[in-house]
Amino acid sequence: MSLKSYSRARAVHVMLVYTGGCNGCDIEIVNCIFSPRYDAEQYKVFLTWNPREADVLVVTGPVTKHTEKPLKEIYNSIPEPKAVVAAGACALMGGVYKNIHGDIPSEEIAGPVDEVIPVDAKVPGCAVRPEDILSGLVATLPKLLEAK
Amino acid sequence: MSDNNNKKIIETEVPMGMVHSAAIEPYRVRLFVEDEIVRDAEITVGINHRGIERIMEGLPVEKANSLTEKICGICSNSHIWNSVLVAEKALGIEIPERASYIRIVVEELERLHSHLLYLAHGSEVLGHETFAMRLFYIRETVMELLGMIGGNRVQYGAPIIGGIRPRCDLNEMRIKKIKEGMDFLEEKVAAFADRFTSDPMIMARITGVAVLSKKDAIRLATSGPTLRATGVDIDLRRDMESYDPFEFDIITQKDGDVKSNLLVRVFEIFESIKIIRQAIGNLPPGKITNRSWGMQDTPIVKSYIEVPRGKLYHSYKLEEGRTRNVIVRTPSITNIGAMEHACIGAHITDAQLAIVQCDPCFTCTDRAIKIIRL
Ligand code: SF4
Repeated sequence: MSLKSYSRARAVHVMLVYTGGCNGCDIEIVNCIFSPRYDAEQYKVFLTWNPREADVLVVTGPVTKHTEKPLKEIYNSIPEPKAVVAAGACALMGGVYKNIHGDIPSEEIAGPVDEVIPVDAKVPGCAVRPEDILSGLVATLPKLLEAK
Repeated sequence: MSDNNNKKIIETEVPMGMVHSAAIEPYRVRLFVEDEIVRDAEITVGINHRGIERIMEGLPVEKANSLTEKICGICSNSHIWNSVLVAEKALGIEIPERASYIRIVVEELERLHSHLLYLAHGSEVLGHETFAMRLFYIRETVMELLGMIGGNRVQYGAPIIGGIRPRCDLNEMRIKKIKEGMDFLEEKVAAFADRFTSDPMIMARITGVAVLSKKDAIRLATSGPTLRATGVDIDLRRDMESYDPFEFDIITQKDGDVKSNLLVRVFEIFESIKIIRQAIGNLPPGKITNRSWGMQDTPIVKSYIEVPRGKLYHSYKLEEGRTRNVIVRTPSITNIGAMEHACIGAHITDAQLAIVQCDPCFTCTDRAIKIIRL
């Protein structure tokens, strides 16, 4: 393990971006990192709100047309190596907001997330369970650590 | 500037958002600042617009009801409950007493988790992360109880037309767990409240900050705990039939500042615990759903209920078992005026606190509003 990945593994910064879901997933993610019950901070995973500081981008929500551009900008301003976790049914396939229309294109939704930015790990659930978020974050670690 | 008689007002605009580090939800605030004092504020929403009322148009009513849960992840039960109440009112359905009690238990648990989340978010904005973590820890008990009742931690879908879903029935084991949970919660929240109100730094930070006067609160049609924090004694729970069997007090505070807002929520937590204890203590036996009802066409029916953030309105009409003309109005839309007003006169560092003190939930607010072009 190189020095870089050694230090990276000890400070994984997660940035949460909210793109128009129902708040359920977001609070579960904050809960998972913040609350002493799940306490992702004990695994050196920290929540940040600054894209330049972040390693992992967690996206929730179906990406409304208004949040599409900011999401791309945030993704571009995260330094390499970076990973993206899409959390929640909305982020994976648009959730009820997109799919209930059938094949009629939705006027409001630009998502799901993987049509806007590349996604590395997908965490299902409506809302996602905190345990699943932890495993989703862990699944992105090899990509971060193996980067030169 | 140098000439006092001809003083020019230098106003700087400080925009925040759509995605900003201080706010989890995307919304846009423009603060007009003069000498670091906020002179005016403007909040723009519409970024989250997903058109859920359009999606609900023409769906079978049962399906539309469960869709209302996805409006908001914090008060999901309030939405499905109110939507079900509209259908029950329209079709004249009586629900069994047991179902009504269990609905109250779920709703009050939801109020507990919403208020604890508010306090945690408030502490975080205040800069006191330890309190925030502690509150998240206390809140986890409520989430687990909700998970136990509904099978999901966030969207539990308890009410259905005519009663509650069978899986949400409360048996002996569940009642015991809720009792234990309430004891734990009462102890922990009381300890938190003591610690919070006796902390001179916190108190100095929140007393007299971002004041909303009673007159302004009424003029701006504020609702819920934000209104009660200014001294107005209005709570729809007093007029709701489902709450008739329960004894509880309506909490008010006088000042309308951040302190009053926080304290109203802290004391409401104890009232909710009281209601839950009464409900599970005298839970009537019997059926939990009334299945003998028929569908018919109805005119538009409205329903107002009190939810953790204020007054929630749902209305629709039924046509061949399908919903038409769905309208949802959430409490935050009327509280936006209060948020903007509370910012005025505050220091710029307090502006975020002034917004958070009104317990904003922009997700549920962004449904029926006209989409803005940014
Ligand atoms: S996946 Fe479910 S809980 Fe998560 S944002 Fe979407 S609707 Fe809300």
